[in-house]
Amino acid sequence: MEAKKVHRALQLVASLSIDKASQVFSKMIKVGAKIELEKVYVADISRATEELMVTDDFDVIGAFVDLVGDMPFKFLFYVAADDSLALTDLILHREPGVTKKFDLYVSSTVQELGNVLASAVTNVFASDFQIQMKPTPPQVVHDFASTVFGEYIMEAAADQNEILMIESMFKVVRMDIKCRMFLLPKGDTQKTLSGIIGAA
Amino acid sequence: MDAVNEITIGMADLKVGKAPQVLSTILGSCIGLCLYSPRHQTGGLLHLMMPFAGESVHQLNYKKAKYADTGVAELIHVLKKTCGVATPEIVAKMFGGAKVLKNVERNIGGENAEVVRSLLKEHGIVLKAVKVGGENGYRIKFHLDTGKVTCQIFGGQPEEF
Repeated sequence: MEAKKVHRALQLVASLSIDKASQVFSKMIKVGAKIELEKVYVADISRATEELMVTDDFDVIGAFVDLVGDMPFKFLFYVAADDSLALTDLILHREPGVTKKFDLYVSSTVQELGNVLASAVTNVFASDFQIQMKPTPPQVVHDFASTVFGEYIMEAAADQNEILMIESMFKVVRMDIKCRMFLLPKGDTQKTLSGIIGAA
Repeated sequence: MDAVNEITIGMADLKVGKAPQVLSTILGSCIGLCLYSPRHQTGGLLHLMMPFAGESVHQLNYKKAKYADTGVAELIHVLKKTCGVATPEIVAKMFGGAKVLKNVERNIGGENAEVVRSLLKEHGIVLKAVKVGGENGYRIKFHLDTGKVTCQIFGGQPEEF
């Protein structure tokens, strides 16, 4: 019963923060970003990573952010390496096709997006739930999608075989750029959330 | 490669197969350990995450393949039980153990590699090829018809071991 309540509360938090992140993202790139997927689920680490190795067998640029504070989370935003070039052109207001390879501009763009999206999430926690959190500076990694995802879940998966994930996929309208965003509760976050629900 | 013959192995998991199957995985700081019996054309791939199980062995849904100390023994056991492979027939190849995140102090990949080396020595298994370390991910494909492993480090060309 308690687990169901926590799950529902996380769904609400996820829905609000992803909605906010999508608005911020759209404003930043000046093109509509549509949420294609939004889900909260419990995943077995072996099955989740095995599936990703099959579905996302390409390289990505990912921004890792730790959300530290009352309810710590780990945040990951990634975009396929090819799509990150078009995304960089959008953010830097360049003609499409100007950015041709992964460079400092691409890295900075993904870092900035990670920062802005993670901040949007923490703002929702603060304004709607009075939960204080702040994001650490994003670390950008260019690697296989499965390597990036594996490193992202490593800390949580060290103590658990099943992890609670909040996943969202954005599609940049008219450009077919797909990006994924993940939120992973850390440590006692679920317990804290359970306490908040109990007190409400 | 015929997709039907390719078997993917996720984190904290192990799988065994026979020629002409191909076992594949993608690694970061985890280790991919390939054990092979040339006579049986049979092998297994272990995708381990941590060096030691410690207190985790008491957990309800504890995964042996997550840890080097329990995973290596489990893979040897599964090869013996399902394919009749005796330990002296087994040769090993090891990959992965990268330090992908620079802001993480602990070099878990390096620790994993060291523990696997000593465990293989304890079991008397010859380590025929090693490619570990660095800062990038590894994609490996373990061909069970030859025992060869194609290893591609992110950003580089595939190499055969």
